[in-house]
Amino acid sequence: MLRLQLEDVVKIYADKTAVNRISLEVEEGEIYGLLGANGAGKTTTMRMVLGLIYPDEGKILYNGKPYNKELRRLMGYLPEERGLYPKVKVSEQITYLGQLRGMSAKEADKSLKYWLEKFEVPDYYDKKIEELSKGNQQKMGFIAAVIHNPQILILDEAFSGLDPVNVELLKSTVKELRDNGASILFSTHRMEHVEELCRNITILHRSNTVVKGNLKEIKSRYPREEVVLGTEGEVQGLDKLSGVTEVTRTEGGYLIRISELEAAQSILNTAMSQSVIHKFEVKEPTLNQIFIKAVGESNE
Amino acid sequence: MNNTWTVIRFTFMNKVKTKSFLVTTLIFAILLSVGINLPYLIQLFTGDGDSGSKAAERIGLVYGQQQELATELETSWGQLTTNYELIPYETEDQQLLSQDMDNGLIEGYLKFEEQEGGLFPAVVYTAGEDRMELELQSNLQAALQIIKTRSIAQGLNLTEAQITEINTPVQIESRSLDAGNAGDAEGEGAFPGSSAEAMDYVLVYALVILFFFTLMSTGNMIASEVTTEKSSRIMEILITSVSPLSQMFGKVIGMLLLGLFQILSFGVVVAINLMLPHNIEVLKDLNLDISAIDPALLILGLVFYILGYFLYAVLYAAVGSIISRTEDLGQAIMPLTMVSLVAFYIAIFSLSTPNSTLLKVSSFIPFTSPTTILVRVGLGDVPMWEVAASLVILIVSILAFGWLSAKIYRTGVLLYGKRPSFKELMKAMKAYKM
Repeated sequence: MLRLQLEDVVKIYADKTAVNRISLEVEEGEIYGLLGANGAGKTTTMRMVLGLIYPDEGKILYNGKPYNKELRRLMGYLPEERGLYPKVKVSEQITYLGQLRGMSAKEADKSLKYWLEKFEVPDYYDKKIEELSKGNQQKMGFIAAVIHNPQILILDEAFSGLDPVNVELLKSTVKELRDNGASILFSTHRMEHVEELCRNITILHRSNTVVKGNLKEIKSRYPREEVVLGTEGEVQGLDKLSGVTEVTRTEGGYLIRISELEAAQSILNTAMSQSVIHKFEVKEPTLNQIFIKAVGESNE
Repeated sequence: MNNTWTVIRFTFMNKVKTKSFLVTTLIFAILLSVGINLPYLIQLFTGDGDSGSKAAERIGLVYGQQQELATELETSWGQLTTNYELIPYETEDQQLLSQDMDNGLIEGYLKFEEQEGGLFPAVVYTAGEDRMELELQSNLQAALQIIKTRSIAQGLNLTEAQITEINTPVQIESRSLDAGNAGDAEGEGAFPGSSAEAMDYVLVYALVILFFFTLMSTGNMIASEVTTEKSSRIMEILITSVSPLSQMFGKVIGMLLLGLFQILSFGVVVAINLMLPHNIEVLKDLNLDISAIDPALLILGLVFYILGYFLYAVLYAAVGSIISRTEDLGQAIMPLTMVSLVAFYIAIFSLSTPNSTLLKVSSFIPFTSPTTILVRVGLGDVPMWEVAASLVILIVSILAFGWLSAKIYRTGVLLYGKRPSFKELMKAMKAYKM
């Protein structure tokens, strides 16, 4: 059964439509990517999923049922500007939030210690949030969101502002939660995270869904337009091949843009005849390119 | 319900530990202690020159032509518990008396002057530097009243038993006064009104001040707490975990407990201070008696305190919820502060006119009734039904404003940016389907 299902959800604020007919489905053990520029409607969608605001049209189902109070205990939320009390100890506020989510004080405390241990910061237990660095505050916010082991986890820009080491740490943690069966709605504008984590995505642009579906399928829908070539020496005449639109010299090779896939073969042949080849790849479009393209198209 | 408790506990525990709370409570407690001990300290510094402490003060008594009367006064004086000692002077020697007064041997002197046509001579007290003290006056009145009766009755050839009988009604009268203030036998008549009334006055005064100050501090705390939660964005996590209603009321109740805790600690400080031996004396001098506190007034005060608190607290929470930044808070809660100031000043200025129309009207307005009804009940005459009506109006408005505040709160906590106007707030309420 679908953990989370949005059907033609519409949200209209007094003077503008914030979300226009969004539909998406998240299964058990899945990370769903919600992409979009600032103001595209990601946060509004998440707030509706969280039950903070109600959709004007359409419906949101959780395990097949509409919103109910029990859901509060099953959902975890990491807001974009992750909030914690600056002047309260980590242990006090996170166990408090755990208790609000229906845990006993003891369970919450145990879970908090487990997570601090996992993030290798057990000494933060007695620290106030304002004493921690921004990245570490974010980790504490993450713990606050997952302390009660939620079924549905909503992460709004979970990795923004983190150093690469901590991004990896959180990423692997998110994957772990997914593998344990959590359904995660994940918003970001960093495409590389999405490519690594998400099976399905929705790209929002100005309240509208512009791209939606399985990440692999989406990628295959977009033509491959880039060839990476690594060679020992120089290769002449690449730009004269049919189907080649642009040739860029790079460190130890070429980056070639093509308009049709057949051109790749002739590029390889030309290069082989002139030099030793280290690398040859017909790149699938990055999500970044798809995003820019999709958003650009709908702009026109 | 469970969650409300969690919020209450968290709010209380967090606030009670903060330095600002501990410091303000401590400062207030110190001020209270100083205030209570002030009368004693003043007495200490202004006490009569030679003895310095509360030793017996001496009063000259001129025997003159009223030998018999003076002797009787001295006899009955001996039976009174008093701080004054009578020093006999044979004649009214002006020079000697004023010399003794200058030297501080006596405070003043007393003499009897024959009254034309009067059966009893006039009593004249000539004071030195200070005016006649209330206590001395009351002591003298008490002693002389009996003597007067006695001396007048003597001419009628009455028996000793009959004289006692004549005195009895006077005693009944004083006993009825005594009933209200057990343990304060000789004070009657010294203070305008009885001891119980004086105590009511003090109690009402204290309750009104307590109400105002704890309301100001806890109200501010609620509003700033809500704004802080909002600006630190923890609010979004909170409202996804707890319903805004239990969150708001959890906070309000948590702060109420904090306020009550503060009042309780002040109460303990006051009680300890009053228990000090020197203060018991001073209290007695001021004709105040703790046991004269009217428990009904105290309970009524507590009930109105709690209800009044709720009314203001939910509004403070609502105001806090529509502000995004703590800097804007002061300006936003100004109207509420003004209203509570009005409630405070109407009550304080009406202490001497507890039956005024202003007070009567304001005791039915929910925002001012918590303080003004206390003044009316404690110091004026108010029919029971008016108290009940005021109570009902207050409860109804708590429900109404509680409902409204919950709605504003629910909407406000999601609104960021500049302070929304009322219209924008209404629009948002509609948009959020609250």
